[in-house]
Amino acid sequence: MRRSLVLAGAAVTVFGLLAGCSAGGGGSDSGRTTLKVAALEGGYGRDMYTQVIKQYEASHPDIDVQLQISKSIEDEITPNMKAGRYPDVVVLGQGREAALTETLIKDKALEDLTPVLKEKVPGENTTVGDKLTEGIVGNLNTNPYRNDQTYLMPMYYAPTGLFYNQGLFEQKGWKVPSTWDEMFALGDTAKKQGIPLFTYPTAGYLDSFFFALLADVGGEQFYTDVMTYKKDVWKTANARKALDITTRLLDYAAPATVGYANEQDFTKNQQLVLDNKALFMPNGTWIVGEMAEAPRAKGFKWGLTPLPAVTAGSKRYITTSVESVWIPSAAENKDAAKDFIAYLYSDEAAKTFAESNAIQPIEGIVSSLSGENAEFYKVYEDPSVAPLVGGFASTAPVEGVDIKATLFDTANSIISGDTTENKWQDALNDASEKLRQAGD
Amino acid sequence: MTTLSTPTPPPGSTNHASKSAPVGGSSRRGTRGPARRRGNTRFVLACLLPALVLFAVFMVVPTMNVFRMSFYTWSGFSPDKRFVGLDNFSRLLDDEQFVRAFQNTVALLVVVTVVTMGMGLFLAAIMTRQRLRGRNLYRFILYIPNVLSVVVIAAVFSAVYDQENGLLNSTLRLLSLDGLQQVWLGDQKLVVYSVAIAMVWQSLGYYMVLYMASMSSIPEELYEASALDGASAARQFFAITLPLIWQNLRTTLTFFIMSAVNLSFVLVRAMTGGGPDGSSEVLLSYMYKQAYTNSSYGYGMAIGVVIFAFSFLVSLLVSRATRREPLQF
Repeated sequence: MRRSLVLAGAAVTVFGLLAGCSAGGGGSDSGRTTLKVAALEGGYGRDMYTQVIKQYEASHPDIDVQLQISKSIEDEITPNMKAGRYPDVVVLGQGREAALTETLIKDKALEDLTPVLKEKVPGENTTVGDKLTEGIVGNLNTNPYRNDQTYLMPMYYAPTGLFYNQGLFEQKGWKVPSTWDEMFALGDTAKKQGIPLFTYPTAGYLDSFFFALLADVGGEQFYTDVMTYKKDVWKTANARKALDITTRLLDYAAPATVGYANEQDFTKNQQLVLDNKALFMPNGTWIVGEMAEAPRAKGFKWGLTPLPAVTAGSKRYITTSVESVWIPSAAENKDAAKDFIAYLYSDEAAKTFAESNAIQPIEGIVSSLSGENAEFYKVYEDPSVAPLVGGFASTAPVEGVDIKATLFDTANSIISGDTTENKWQDALNDASEKLRQAGD
Repeated sequence: MTTLSTPTPPPGSTNHASKSAPVGGSSRRGTRGPARRRGNTRFVLACLLPALVLFAVFMVVPTMNVFRMSFYTWSGFSPDKRFVGLDNFSRLLDDEQFVRAFQNTVALLVVVTVVTMGMGLFLAAIMTRQRLRGRNLYRFILYIPNVLSVVVIAAVFSAVYDQENGLLNSTLRLLSLDGLQQVWLGDQKLVVYSVAIAMVWQSLGYYMVLYMASMSSIPEELYEASALDGASAARQFFAITLPLIWQNLRTTLTFFIMSAVNLSFVLVRAMTGGGPDGSSEVLLSYMYKQAYTNSSYGYGMAIGVVIFAFSFLVSLLVSRATRREPLQF
């Protein structure tokens, strides 16, 4: 008797444990569609999402939006996705360490969102495509397979470039350099006063520097060639010129840069600019909020400039970081998800987002901005400056090859003298060639 | 049911019963014994079952999966996995980053083991043999790092290693040793050792306490007798203490191997992120980067297999090399 009880007890425990591991998923209840939205909680916070969802639910009573938001959203949705339970809408850009978006792009596991561009914004008379800023779709960031299909909708955009202390420039009577020659001349002047010309938070931040530089040096076609791994593109004169400029600039880097260029200490590099111990650093508009509490030199005022032009008067590009919203092709309620995405571009939603400093690429939004943001987004108004969106093209994964790491992280070794420009160029060419073969 | 409810004869009658019917008695005992043993076995199995199932589901199956996935090219999500045989492994041989991560792991394994073990033994011997004043306080202080989370340790060492006003460089300046100042986390040749120091600091107290526990169980007479024979403290340490805690030392060696693999990963991720330029990458951090950031799950799993085989092999070798007849006291 007792023994069978024990056996029964053991069996219950085992099944209980196993059942606990496979918590049942919910389903949509009578008539109402449950739309699962997953979003990265970035610098903009979470309130804007709850507000926008509340507004959406008010006009769509048959839809129940479930929001999952976290600073490491990948870790939370990935296990469910592997078990086949996909969110319907995901707000998550590329360039994160977990690389979930990139992985799904490589897997071709995203829903084609081209139809959304032609859809009317709910409650308005214009289509989503018409509302978007020109040139924000149709690049590698939104159309990762180099065709006309848009898989990632641009959600927020922000200019990235060289950040500096406007106050210091006024004090010293310096002019923000508009060509690289002026830049290096300023570097020599500042060096005499003990201020290094350049620093970067971590080498990864050089993305805002490099992409623009490549386009500045060789134009958009050259930039696209590099991003799509054209054969021997890194052996060209343009590529060499970009590396020459970079190597020369790194020569002016603050000596502390490499030692602080890690996840733990990168704010110390950013602090160098606040303390007038370095003039420029590549960064994004989030820097204002990120360093809001940090002490700073007297008269400090954030400034943002595009990279100097290669020759006087030539076109300058400003790398624009774009966060994306997408639908996994395995999502359950794709139609509802597309409608929801279209709603995200409504005036109502855009206003809510903009209040949290999340600026959407909607025509005319810049004129409604205020404060530092207004100034940062003004860089786009300069006729000689063009936005540059995108990044390296997606290929099938190549084991052991990470061209972003080769392009950016090597800067650390250049500054510390552990490698040379020639070796850098060879490594880039090698990585690019391997990816090109994988892309074919 | 029946066995349990069978009335047992009263104690007094046992003798009588066995005397009068010896054959029946022995046969009865003969049938009952194995039955009970069988019952026990079943009971023991039933008790073990939950643990075994958990072990199988969460340890054995995933480990098998690691081995299986290492033969595939797979991004981690897509339904199409491509079998590539040993391709992932042959690629590893040409991957400079992997070789560097391997070298770093081995360097950490050797440096951290030697330093932690040496210092742990030394401190434990002093704490148990010498009647130091305030040794409880020392023990407490040395043990504290072990309960700190890795993020805290990373923050502590970021403050220690800071190149401008860090504890280390400031102290060197104070001692007029300016020439010895280093960019501890920025110098590619130094950064692994900077991580190693953090690892030693973190684990020293733990091993010290382990060694102290086994040292304090060595009978005092042995030391008294050897002292009468004129043995010095050092002689006592090598002739009495070390041989008698040898089994304990062997166990901790396995711990060292595991911590060199696991702890180095968390510390590297929190302190340097593998940088600068991959110079402090260790096997597990490189595996993570490949499996997730680079969407090469199968390749990552191949690295996982190498880690498994490496730690298994080193543990085996160390265990073989240190095998001795256990000494009793």
